[in-house]
Amino acid sequence: MSALRTLSRLPQATVEFANVILTTPDAAIGQTPREVVWTHRKTTLYRYRSSAREHAVPVLLVFALINRPEIFDLRRGSSFVEFLLGEGFDVFLVDWGVPGEEDSEMGLAEFVCDELDWAVRETLRAAHEDELTLLGWCIGGTLCAMYCALHPAGAVRNAVLLTTPIDPSESLYARWVGGEEFDVDLIADSYPAVPGAGIDFANKLMKPVTNYVTTYRRLFQGILEGKDARVAYQAMAKWVADSPSFPARAYREWITWMYKENRLIDGRLRLRGDRVDLARIEQNLLVVTAGADHIAPRVGTMPLLDLVASEDVTHVDRPGGHIGLMAGSRAKHEIWPELADWMRERSGH
Amino acid sequence: MAEDENAHPSPAEQVSRLYEEAEAQAAKASEELVGGAGFTALLGRVAENVAALTKLSGDTMDIVVRNLRIAGKRDVVGLARQLARTEDKLERVLQEVEELRDELTRAKPEADSDGRNARARPARRAAATRSKDSS
Repeated sequence: MSALRTLSRLPQATVEFANVILTTPDAAIGQTPREVVWTHRKTTLYRYRSSAREHAVPVLLVFALINRPEIFDLRRGSSFVEFLLGEGFDVFLVDWGVPGEEDSEMGLAEFVCDELDWAVRETLRAAHEDELTLLGWCIGGTLCAMYCALHPAGAVRNAVLLTTPIDPSESLYARWVGGEEFDVDLIADSYPAVPGAGIDFANKLMKPVTNYVTTYRRLFQGILEGKDARVAYQAMAKWVADSPSFPARAYREWITWMYKENRLIDGRLRLRGDRVDLARIEQNLLVVTAGADHIAPRVGTMPLLDLVASEDVTHVDRPGGHIGLMAGSRAKHEIWPELADWMRERSGH
Repeated sequence: MAEDENAHPSPAEQVSRLYEEAEAQAAKASEELVGGAGFTALLGRVAENVAALTKLSGDTMDIVVRNLRIAGKRDVVGLARQLARTEDKLERVLQEVEELRDELTRAKPEADSDGRNARARPARRAAATRSKDSS
């Protein structure tokens, strides 16, 4: 593009860029039709009906306590839920909701032993099945791993863990919050619901230039070159900006047990008196790691593979970031089919 | 032609490339910066200050609202917490009811089949009696 032509497009591109940024909150995400199966407190279990259900074992999707689970169903044509439905799976999703100050007493035990356990129960009841596939992403994956360890002979037949922190001692996050410099008790005492915006800020601060400069520069450049970047950018930007609060007790436990004391990998983590021993995981296990994941680096997930008692363990490592691996433009053609193939082989009667 | 363009990029392309290189170097430098011990200490202290300020301002606002005899955030949160506890209990009761109903559903076919067997037995007995009579 000649310099003169670029210059002539500059005013129009600037207006378009501003419009994309300003109308991001209006972007439509999570559009696949769904129905409410069960609710408790802020938690909701949704079911996405498949018109071509082929596999008996339903899939229960579990996302992190930070950010919303709409990342599983970002936008039409780029939705993991839509993809799974097309592959014939019966899909359920746990939405933790938006915790408020009244939920400050919700700890990891409440999420794993109550909310997740009951969501599993309701999924089985709704699907009229005895077993399911549990698919967890990020902290959701860690919660699923804890659940599987506590219920090795339970209803989970297959467990899929995506970019899941298990031993986060080598991560940047551990450097930030794992030492004495970070007083987690002060934060948890000050905020009954730790603001999601603060956690989002910390996540973005891990790659400050990439998140605060490169993203916008690329968007502007795309618009300047006449590319239609609006839909893809807005869906992701809206999802990133929507950060619910983290209940104080769960936040305190997550930071202390995972980053300060690293209890999970050592088998020292207890939920309601029961030891969460990852060596008790017997389910068919698929662990997915991303090569450029700076939030849950691959090195922090790998130890799980040597710990579990499962006879059927698969590890998939692909290039990509913590979220980009599953929600990037290539995910639909690369990682999603791999996940579907793995689940398909293990989802018959 | 294309080779010529690659060999002699336009000034705009050169500027663009230079900017991207500078941005990549800045990104790398910033990531090294945030990974340092000094930044970790700073981040911890800033987080503490923000949390303390938020708590102070929140507590002050709450005192003002309470002195005005208006239900404050603390009251609303207290009520919501009470509701949540009631919902917890309701959920557990519902689960008990559902389990009992499932047990009842499972027990019913067994009872039905037992009943059918009980009714079938006299019929078989009657048939046996008839055969004895005929002999």
